[in-house]
Amino acid sequence: MLKTFFKDLIKNKAMLLMVLPGTIWFFFFSYLPMAGTVIAFKQYRYSRDGFLASILESKWVGLQNFKFLFSTSDAYIITRNTVLYNVVFIVLGLFFSVAMAVILSEIVNKRLSKLYQTGMFMPYFLSWVIVGYFVFSFLSTDRGVLNHILTSLGKDPVSWYSESTAWPYMLVLISLWKSIGYNSVVYLAAIMGIDKSLYEAAMIDGANKWQQIRSITVPMLTPLMTILTLLAIGRIFYADFGLFYQVPRDSGALYSVTNVIDTYVYRGLKTTGEIGMSTAAGLYQSFVGFVLIIASNAIVRKFNKDNALL
Amino acid sequence: MRIKSKSKKSVLYGLTLLLSAGMVLSACGKNADNGGNTAASNSNTETSTEKPVELIWYTIGTPQKDVDKVMAEVNKYTSEKIGVTVKMNMLDWGDYDQKMKVMTASGEPMDIMFSASWAFDYVQNSRKGAFASLDELLQKEGKGITEVLDPAFLQGSKVDGHNYGIPANKELPAQEVWRFNKNLLDKYKLDIKGVGSLESLEPLLKTIKANEPTVTPFALDKNYVPYVPYDYIIQGLPMGVKLDSTDLKVVNVLETPEMKQALQTMRKYYKAGYVSAEAATTTSVSDLQTAGKWFLDRAATQPFADNAWSSSYGYPVVSTPASDSIIYNWSVMGSLQTISANSEHPDKAMAFLNLLNTDPYLRNLVDSGIEGVHYKKTADNRMENLADSKNYDMPTFSLGNIMLTYLNPSDPDNKWESFKEFNSAGKKAPTLGFNFDSSKVATELAAVQNVKEEFMSALYTGTVEPDEYLPKAVEKLNAAGFGKIIEEAQRQLDEWKAAQ
Repeated sequence: MLKTFFKDLIKNKAMLLMVLPGTIWFFFFSYLPMAGTVIAFKQYRYSRDGFLASILESKWVGLQNFKFLFSTSDAYIITRNTVLYNVVFIVLGLFFSVAMAVILSEIVNKRLSKLYQTGMFMPYFLSWVIVGYFVFSFLSTDRGVLNHILTSLGKDPVSWYSESTAWPYMLVLISLWKSIGYNSVVYLAAIMGIDKSLYEAAMIDGANKWQQIRSITVPMLTPLMTILTLLAIGRIFYADFGLFYQVPRDSGALYSVTNVIDTYVYRGLKTTGEIGMSTAAGLYQSFVGFVLIIASNAIVRKFNKDNALL
Repeated sequence: MRIKSKSKKSVLYGLTLLLSAGMVLSACGKNADNGGNTAASNSNTETSTEKPVELIWYTIGTPQKDVDKVMAEVNKYTSEKIGVTVKMNMLDWGDYDQKMKVMTASGEPMDIMFSASWAFDYVQNSRKGAFASLDELLQKEGKGITEVLDPAFLQGSKVDGHNYGIPANKELPAQEVWRFNKNLLDKYKLDIKGVGSLESLEPLLKTIKANEPTVTPFALDKNYVPYVPYDYIIQGLPMGVKLDSTDLKVVNVLETPEMKQALQTMRKYYKAGYVSAEAATTTSVSDLQTAGKWFLDRAATQPFADNAWSSSYGYPVVSTPASDSIIYNWSVMGSLQTISANSEHPDKAMAFLNLLNTDPYLRNLVDSGIEGVHYKKTADNRMENLADSKNYDMPTFSLGNIMLTYLNPSDPDNKWESFKEFNSAGKKAPTLGFNFDSSKVATELAAVQNVKEEFMSALYTGTVEPDEYLPKAVEKLNAAGFGKIIEEAQRQLDEWKAAQ
């Protein structure tokens, strides 16, 4: 067995070398910490003999650490907000990213196309803190652009950070603005990889642009769309902390529409610093994500085996 | 295809084997290491002629350029005197709490660490086992500390009967004051003689609002809490004991008449425009202070605070009391140096802390830097900053006994006497010496924290109508288990009282 192992190792060395950096990263940041999930079932206390001893010596508390996630009426709100926002982000994100990628690929002037692409790409690199201030310059009650426009039109200024009705739309808009550019580049790359002769053949058959997109581009992109969507579903219980914390400026009046699992955990534990409870929250999120990804993968496989992940 | 999948599997097996072997080995190695070091350190303390031991010191504040340079000077002195060198690591104000929590949890080697009621929580981390108990160490190596420190400090910073930290000798009670931008007071000839209560501010605020449209009359941010005479059990949670109570009854402060009235007043001020419309989401008003675009705010004071504020803002600031001067648990625990539970040289660390709190040369070296480089001495106990002091600008209160530090040019001669007077004038809060153990209600606390963040800033700053939102907040707090926390606090407090 060992002999064949080394033989394979040598045979595939180029490939293995290529996945090595990724493997190392995953090992240290995903697989190694997995052992730490045991902390979710313990009341973590420090031991003078280091981290491992602390884990071993802390006492078992069963599911006690999970309780705070489900103990109040907030449990419903945070779960609803997290899942619904993510569903909307996945659906709209997919639609607009693909649409943008198609549009960009159809622009004849390559220089302009690159310019638009870069422009759309930029917001992805901004941190949420900066985006938060950016939004604040629009929505500030006394100095915001939006309220200036409202008052110049003779309307009453709105105190945006204590008025929750508009926020679901704004959060969706801001999230899309920030992520579409990046995602559409992924699809654009896939479009570039489609064999040009397919389009030529279609044109000879008299297909117009719309028919080409519908019958060639979109079907060719489907495997990629499925994979990216499946991966997004796996993270459906994780909310983008910065979006829901920094952008609404942590305003209490907006919690009914901005409180998600991640912000709830942060607010609940930032003062007490109970590591067991935050580990429990993380484990719960990834467990639900795991179940969902397996389930949706099974569904995908039923329809089309090649598009499934596993 | 077959070969490929087989090779994939065998690679996987190989990797797993390698990794688990690595983990086992590293775990063993670590334990063996620890054992060896402890043995070595024991023999070290017996024969002090050995190489000096290095102490790792974590403290709060914006990292300074010249820390290593100054520490080299410190080490020259301490290695000779007590056989110790120190490596100081500074963590910035905003990072300290988070980073220390993570480093403690992961067992990072540390010897001395800063702790307080407001950063890297002293009581909670003592209970979680982050710090070494100092009871015996104080007897053995810390005699000097027990002599110079007001006994109220060591008494008040006990957790479950043990000392885990050395409080800095500084102001003991906490007193709130109303601070005023004196330029505006003078401009409109306003008098602050009769000012005291929140309500008494109204005529002054009105004048400023009417005449100075660009000035924020009442500067406050989202952390503002109206002052009410209650002794809070947990900082930031509206649960406390009335200051003049003798029966130690824990109540929901939101339901007290004092808080209800304060909230109504704040609402009135908010509606009148005395408070910024964004107060409930503002994290800091320092920009207003830098620009001088504020009229009044509330702050915690200490002797000669007006001088310090005026010189840091660059324009005169005056203040008048807004509360009595009270010694609270949290004011006693405003700044402590602790010894890490995993320290390999706890006695050496204590010897160093002892020297730091009693030796003027060492204390001023750590505080102001090297004489002739960062400051120059102008008299026996006076100094003046030199240009290089910007490379070593340390927070004085966080580094031990402040009463050993040299006076600045603007300080009066009787500065430390005034501190001592201020300390002895403070009244003791009813729960002084009691520390709530929150481990039984950790679940409820996490839920209640969320409700608190949802409602409190908006209520306290007057952003929302208390008639509507106060009942909502109380109801939601109770639904999250606030009643259970109050009950638990009452039970522990009764027990503590009985044991006194």
